[in-house]
Amino acid sequence: MASKGPVEGPSIGFDFSNYARNQYLGQTMGGLPKATSTGTTIVGMKFGGGDSGEEEGIVLGADTRATAGSIVADKNCEKIHYLTPNMRCCGAGTAADTEFVTNLISSNLELHALSQGKPARVVTAMTMLKQYLFRYQGHVGAYLVLGGVDSTGAHLFAVQAHGSTDKLPYMTLGSGSLAAMAMFESSFKQNMKREEAIALVARAIRAGVFNDLGSGSNVDVAVITKAGTEMLRNYEMPNERGVKSRNYKFRRGTTAWTKEDVRNLLVSEEVAVTAGAGKLQDTTEASQGMEVDA
Amino acid sequence: MGSPMEYNGGSVVAMVGKDCVAIATDLRLGQQSIGVAYNFDKVVAVNDKLYYGLPGLATDVYSLREHLRFRVNMYRMKEEREITPKTFTHLVSSSLYEKRFGPWFIEPVVAGLPQPTELDPHPKPFISTMDTIGCITTPKDFAVAGTAADKLYGAAEGLWEPDLEPDDLFETISQTLLNAVDRDCLSGWGAIVHVITQDKVVTRRLRSRMD
Amino acid sequence: MDTLVRQLSRPAVPVHGEDDEAYGNAAEWGSMGGYGNLSRTGAISGMTVPRVLDPISFLATHTDNLSTNPEAKIKLAHGTTCLAFKFRGGIIVAVDSRASAGSYIASGTVKKVIEINPYLLGTMAGGAADCQYWETYLGIRCRLYELRNKERISVAAASKILTNLVYQYKGMGLSMGTMIAGWDKTGPALFYVDSDGQRIKGNLFSVGSGSTFAYGVLDQGYSYDLSDEEAQDLGRRSIIAAGHRDGYSGNTCNLYHVRENGWEFIGNYDVSQEWYKYNEKEKKALEHAGKAGVQGGSPMAVEA
Repeated sequence: MASKGPVEGPSIGFDFSNYARNQYLGQTMGGLPKATSTGTTIVGMKFGGGDSGEEEGIVLGADTRATAGSIVADKNCEKIHYLTPNMRCCGAGTAADTEFVTNLISSNLELHALSQGKPARVVTAMTMLKQYLFRYQGHVGAYLVLGGVDSTGAHLFAVQAHGSTDKLPYMTLGSGSLAAMAMFESSFKQNMKREEAIALVARAIRAGVFNDLGSGSNVDVAVITKAGTEMLRNYEMPNERGVKSRNYKFRRGTTAWTKEDVRNLLVSEEVAVTAGAGKLQDTTEASQGMEVDA
Repeated sequence: MGSPMEYNGGSVVAMVGKDCVAIATDLRLGQQSIGVAYNFDKVVAVNDKLYYGLPGLATDVYSLREHLRFRVNMYRMKEEREITPKTFTHLVSSSLYEKRFGPWFIEPVVAGLPQPTELDPHPKPFISTMDTIGCITTPKDFAVAGTAADKLYGAAEGLWEPDLEPDDLFETISQTLLNAVDRDCLSGWGAIVHVITQDKVVTRRLRSRMD
Repeated sequence: MDTLVRQLSRPAVPVHGEDDEAYGNAAEWGSMGGYGNLSRTGAISGMTVPRVLDPISFLATHTDNLSTNPEAKIKLAHGTTCLAFKFRGGIIVAVDSRASAGSYIASGTVKKVIEINPYLLGTMAGGAADCQYWETYLGIRCRLYELRNKERISVAAASKILTNLVYQYKGMGLSMGTMIAGWDKTGPALFYVDSDGQRIKGNLFSVGSGSTFAYGVLDQGYSYDLSDEEAQDLGRRSIIAAGHRDGYSGNTCNLYHVRENGWEFIGNYDVSQEWYKYNEKEKKALEHAGKAGVQGGSPMAVEA
């Protein structure tokens, strides 16, 4: 909304109007604030197909911790983002970027599907993501694991913030990727069964949750097959907070205050009988049309 | 010295209670170590049951607040209805992300009660926060931001509990804020608490330390 | 492997030459307990410095000792308001009690007046550890002076010991701004000593991040002919004002009065409580004078 007024309609894309000012402020005051980042463990793997006797599909996994510096900003965030009914995308890196990039591409995929009259393919999503990210030369800090099933089968891609992509049968990303990869390198097999695959993905995320300080809390899993997507939100919750046995409720009147202002939202209430509206009513009281003065 | 986020000081906290929400702010406006004013209210109302706080760089507090006032008024005129807390959060988020490469130095906190509707006669109380570039988090318990954020996290994590009645929520959020800012050089100097319920909003000015 | 061991076991780089070895084992003597590797001349032989090529820049990058590097990971206690002034009834010494590390208030109950001996007070500003250590050491030196000369040390001499001491470390990262106040045979005496090696005699000083605010109140109300009560109130009021305005000062005020027979601790006052009291008094005075209370509109107010 910077350069164009409301009459001309909002301008599209990023607004750099504060950039020079912030650069100056960062220099003179020392340091700019850090954005929330997902010091993450995200993984994805292919399963089924071959002689497994199961249809091929994708399992995606993510932890649920969001951090800002050394602070846990969100203990149960969602890192498996929706793209289309048959595509999901795990995000690591700058939290806002993963959120907005996946949202944008999700919208564009929907438009694409509408214009083409058929669901978009996973490669299409991958190409849209990499072209968008390449344009920003890594400044949009989204590191993604993209998985989905389309008319050509199950596909799994990793998309780096600079725009490079990989196509692999299993992959891990984020600060916990090394811990998670250890699980895949030791236990991954081609054509695993669905339940085996879910168990392996959960184990890989758990490895990140427990061995990487940037990852934590719960395990989210998404299973995508031709039949559809199953979101297993908080599939495992190995870090539930203990229940407090007593509370710290303060006695009312503990806090000293000097001024009070009450804004009454309930001016008056009238109940009128509307016979036959299909609602259960107490006719004896309601017929009087009572007025409540709050 | 210090980043723009610490230049003026100030903190905001929001909490969820039983059919109510509360949002509280300190009142300090500083220039680094120097206290300049103790009536700098960082929380503003969008409508009867929706409030938000903007801790951060004071110049951006004004800019963003006016920007949001404009956007909410446009929404009202176009939609002919009040904005919901969730929609408002996304409006703020988009406004922040638009400036991804030259952000406002603000970490907004939103607190509101959605209007009951036919579809949803008992809407859940809503709070949310964002970082400076608009990454939304919608906690079930409490949201904090500002120079005393890390202290607020500690205090709130210990004091908050589920299903607090409005009167108890007032005490909990007040004590959380007061005790957190007493450990922060750049926050404090008075505080204001809003407790929002379906039929009234109680706003109180707290008596707090002035050093 | 051998070279590695040799590297690790290499003794700390001595600051001074081998001839200091003569004083060598002072640590074994009780009176020097805890100050063992400080020699008696004030020349410090064995204080270890970081074992890197350039200890000074090493400390500068890793600590915020001189407030020049707020990004440093090691945050030292900082931020203070101290004041002292001479008047007809002796010397008033007043300080706040806040210690901050970055913007975090590490403590609100710091004793910033160091009671060197019954006749000498030192105040603490800058590095808390530096002040505490060197002023306690100054106490040892003053006691040794008494034992050697059968006479109390003058404030001038005591403060000079401290200046000479810190001057030897000039530029190495010591950070202290202190006032030495006391009563000797010349009467009340007040000196300002800092880690640059500066030493000034004077009637009125204020030191620290909140000193400007304290000076404001102090200068406005100061006169040599103040009564004891007036002087104490002035000292307290100045610290309250500084504690109010300065983010890095506050919590409580410690008040001391130095007289001929030594110093006396007057009291500990909560800055916030006192501020409300003064504010109330001011409001009443204004009402009495028939003026409207000072009430500004909210800076957030915008025309509807």
